[in-house]
Amino acid sequence: MKSYYNIHTIWIAMLVLTLSTYAIGKMGFHGAGIVLLLLATVLIKGFLIIRDFMELNGVSLLWRAIMYGWLWVTTSAIAISYLVSL
Amino acid sequence: MNTATTFAVEEPKLLPGDLAMWFFIFMELLVFGIAFIGYAVMRLQNIEMFNKYQLTLNTEFGAANTMLLITSSYFVVRAVHAIKLNKVRYCYYWLYAAIAGGAGFLILKAFEYQDKFSAGISLSTNTFYMFYLSLTMFHFLHVILGMIILLAVAIKAQKGAYNATNYTGVEAGASYWHMVDLVWIVLFPLVYIIR
Repeated sequence: MKSYYNIHTIWIAMLVLTLSTYAIGKMGFHGAGIVLLLLATVLIKGFLIIRDFMELNGVSLLWRAIMYGWLWVTTSAIAISYLVSL
Repeated sequence: MNTATTFAVEEPKLLPGDLAMWFFIFMELLVFGIAFIGYAVMRLQNIEMFNKYQLTLNTEFGAANTMLLITSSYFVVRAVHAIKLNKVRYCYYWLYAAIAGGAGFLILKAFEYQDKFSAGISLSTNTFYMFYLSLTMFHFLHVILGMIILLAVAIKAQKGAYNATNYTGVEAGASYWHMVDLVWIVLFPLVYIIR
């Protein structure tokens, strides 16, 4: 079966996610749900960059923990600071 | 009878590229991570100001720049795949295409800065613009450094320094460029969109 999870579809998916982020901003949506949605988009794109662009899938757990940990800690801290302000 | 069973343990893959480059990347990510959290914390004390001045930013340029960096990163992935298949010419073609994507990013950012500076906006205008200018300019400098690294790798590739068995330099340059992309992926929604 042909796999649709490849570097080309990942690139296109990230472009689509970027356009969705732009559209949400342009339409002026805000609130806790939107903050979480936008940060979930950041997490997905970051995950794809680390796993498929940087090709860290399968490397030692330490290196993956540093990279995914950075992404999680940064986005979680941003999420907390925005949610407490709402 | 010995019933001991042996299991094949798969060794983890090595980090792509050079370990020194990865330590450099981790340091860069640490600095950017602290700066992003600093932005979010400072916003808590100036929510109205941050929300008001965020609306003055050009989200079209921000989104276009995100797409340029993602596409440029995709070109770099293609360059790494090409060199692994010993397609040296394709490798440096893709690298030059990635550099062009970076140049497009710099041009759009220069227009954005020109617009802000001509309106008299500077680092001392207010806290929001201080963060906007310092975060994006710091990232801007990383884009320039990434382009210099990719250019050096492309020239070396063109001179035949890399092939299917020796491509550590290509992977190291690629990893740095992806880091520049990763940082912008967080920066764009944080500074331009989320409110």
